[in-house]
Amino acid sequence: MIDDPIFEVTNLTLRFGGVTSLADVTMAQRRGELLSVIGPNGAGKTSLFNCLTGVYRPQEGSITFRSTRRDPVDIVGWQPHRVNKLGIARTFQTSRMFNALTTFENIKVGVEARQKTGPVGAMLHLPRTRREERESDDRTLELLDLVELTHRMNTTADSLPYGDRRRLEIARALGTSPELLLLDEPAAGTNPSEKLELAALIRKINAEIGTSILLIEHDMRLVMSLAERIYVLNFGQVIAEGTPAEIQQNPDVIAAYLGTSESEGAANE
Amino acid sequence: MNYREFLTRLRLNRDDLRLAITCFAGGVLLAIMTGPEGSLQDPLYSVKHALFSSHVWGFLIFGIALGAVSIYRRKLRDGLLTTRRETPRRSIRKSVADYVAGTGMVARVVTFVVALVAALLVADYTGPYVPNKLSFHRIINQFGHTRTYGYILVVFWLLNALRVNARPRNDTVRLPAWMRSAPAKIAGGALGGLFFALCADPWLPLSFRFKFLTFSGNTNHAFFHHWTTYLWTFAGLVVGLRAANLERRAATVATTRRRPARKVTVSTNTRLALYAGGMFVAIEVPKWLSPFWQETIFQQIGIFCLLAIGLNVVVGFAGLLDLGYVAFYALGAYTNAYFTNALPIHPPFVLNAFYSIPFAILVAMLSGVLLGLPTLRLRGDYLAIVTLGFGEIIYVLASNLTNITDGAGGTGATGSFSVNVPGLHFALNGQALGDDLNFYYLLLAFLVPILFLFNSLNHSKVGRSWAAIREDEVAANSLGINSLKYKVMAFAIGASTSGVAGVLSSAKLGSLFPSDFAVQLSITVLILVIFGGMGSISGVLIGAAFIGWLLQYLIFHSFIDYQDADKYMYLGAILILTMIFRPQGMLPSRRRQREFHDADEGLGTADAMGAASEGPLS
Repeated sequence: MIDDPIFEVTNLTLRFGGVTSLADVTMAQRRGELLSVIGPNGAGKTSLFNCLTGVYRPQEGSITFRSTRRDPVDIVGWQPHRVNKLGIARTFQTSRMFNALTTFENIKVGVEARQKTGPVGAMLHLPRTRREERESDDRTLELLDLVELTHRMNTTADSLPYGDRRRLEIARALGTSPELLLLDEPAAGTNPSEKLELAALIRKINAEIGTSILLIEHDMRLVMSLAERIYVLNFGQVIAEGTPAEIQQNPDVIAAYLGTSESEGAANE
Repeated sequence: MNYREFLTRLRLNRDDLRLAITCFAGGVLLAIMTGPEGSLQDPLYSVKHALFSSHVWGFLIFGIALGAVSIYRRKLRDGLLTTRRETPRRSIRKSVADYVAGTGMVARVVTFVVALVAALLVADYTGPYVPNKLSFHRIINQFGHTRTYGYILVVFWLLNALRVNARPRNDTVRLPAWMRSAPAKIAGGALGGLFFALCADPWLPLSFRFKFLTFSGNTNHAFFHHWTTYLWTFAGLVVGLRAANLERRAATVATTRRRPARKVTVSTNTRLALYAGGMFVAIEVPKWLSPFWQETIFQQIGIFCLLAIGLNVVVGFAGLLDLGYVAFYALGAYTNAYFTNALPIHPPFVLNAFYSIPFAILVAMLSGVLLGLPTLRLRGDYLAIVTLGFGEIIYVLASNLTNITDGAGGTGATGSFSVNVPGLHFALNGQALGDDLNFYYLLLAFLVPILFLFNSLNHSKVGRSWAAIREDEVAANSLGINSLKYKVMAFAIGASTSGVAGVLSSAKLGSLFPSDFAVQLSITVLILVIFGGMGSISGVLIGAAFIGWLLQYLIFHSFIDYQDADKYMYLGAILILTMIFRPQGMLPSRRRQREFHDADEGLGTADAMGAASEGPLS
């Protein structure tokens, strides 16, 4: 259906007791694509993220991830840290920073997680540890430059303004060198100018680093301007799929998502 | 004027009054509980004694001062008080530093004389002439002892650090080029080590004099004959080599690289002075203590420090509440008992306590991993309960497996440390009075490297990963951090430290009783960590030293006939006071302090253990 996919979700079903959060979801993302998932509140978007990152274990279906580094693999049931090592990183809807660490350390934690240094090397400052420390410092500084937080690198995460925290969270996820980056409402709670910066940043990550991005976002203007393709979820089911232009015309989407108040939907455009 | 008007005039309300009365009552209670000075057999308690006892007055004044300070701080916080001073108050430290850094001749001479006299007084007070303190003749006599020069060096080094810190930033004084060259540094390091050996070697007798600087004779009295002289020189040489190497590397690595600024509170100079001074004091001071305190400084303070440093990794760094920590201590101790043939079951080969240390580490670490793998998936309170249970299991096993551990009656005599290589022979005997100090120095030889190792661990990838897991486990997992692995690692490292403490302690104690490893000890160690400041190595050390000292001090200064179990009453009081007035501990680590700060602001979670938040994922 899609050539060179980075992941394929097939017939994914997730239930919590009697509540079905995801029902028979099938979707795929092309490598390097900037894909977006939209849907009303409670449609199952974040549940989908949690299945993709190993936080939830779906009852049925499969998620095949095609890393460039290894053969395609079904990641259902994998633990979150293994999924991350495979090449999927994420941000959270409510920002989850390590508040007591500095901006620099927040990013470095992610960069370092891939290194081999163990407790003995860390205690004795063995040559490999020193080399890896230098490498992770350099990589962290690059990422700080990318998200334009270099001037803030010594402040603790809790004293950053909200927009900076969202960018820091993206940089922290990028530190793990993912092939696929999942962004869960990165623009929530930011002001219009910060939204513009964020859109530019997301585009830059996608175009320059070549990371595939899967984006959940409520801000329609942002989604329509960024996404190459959109999936629409409602009550755990995929109700539409297509380019932004197609989605805006789709009667099902208008009914389910924008249709509750058409005038408001139009105002959003 | 009735009392209400009086209170209003003082800008106090009834809450303030209540606080003041509570604090005063606390002071009275402490005064009554600890009483005036007396011995265990003959508590000198009567009203007359109480009235004239500085001890009782001390606690009363403490209570009043505590109340006043608390009220004052509350008023300040609520904005009910305006400070009279418009300019910020200068700290005493800053004023002293400015004075010391002054260039005036008078200031220099005064500083020099004060520093010299201070060093001499310290040397005199800790010197061998106990009955005749402060006589001029004795003080001058201190110049004959090598140790005096150690004190002088430490005091002047600290002074110089103050001067350097007080100077404006851009005004740096560079040493002449030849002093900065690599050979000078290496030679300086070696000479420094030799000097340290001359002033602070544990083997030097307290009344060491220059005439002992010979190559032959009694090993204790012939400086150049003793192996430790060369050990210290070698250590100095290593430090010098490292300093030279750092300089070289700094020159080769591009200096333009931006680095995250480490927030440095003290300069490298000050820190080195503090390390050397701390080592010097830790080695010198115990020499003049009475035998009782020499035993205390090993059995209470030293072992407490080692245990607390280990538990600090689990509780402070990784944020895991471990209430069964003493189980690993017991395992270490019984491992030593097994390998030194003190148990009813016999080992395949009998070892010296030095060689049972690796086995003890292995046993403690393995049991830490075995306990950790299934239980560390649990969070917070559940983990605490499981570890509490593990501690009890070990305790009950030690009590009841009579044919393995000799049960509650205690084991046979455990073996101790001995060295028997050409040129170096010694055997420590836990029961011999004079060997307490040697046990202490042996413990110091384990403790000091562990401090440095754990410090670098905390500032490495591993320490940052622990902090991340503590702050937000879900986010840490999403970054590829295997939280189970890191938690088990913390458990294993803490357990092996405890195992080492077990071997040292068992070699000293002679025979082991299960009651030495009851759950109260776990709680005591936890209180040491909380009191000192979770996650802060220096804080935990100071907490352990202070509480270890206090518990022994109370034996002689308690008015109520002191029973051993009474100490839990005092420990409880310490814990409550800490939680009320300084929940982050005496010297909190910077990271932990921020967590408490965040919790105050409603950001993030910092319960007692700073466990990761378990909020909904979304």
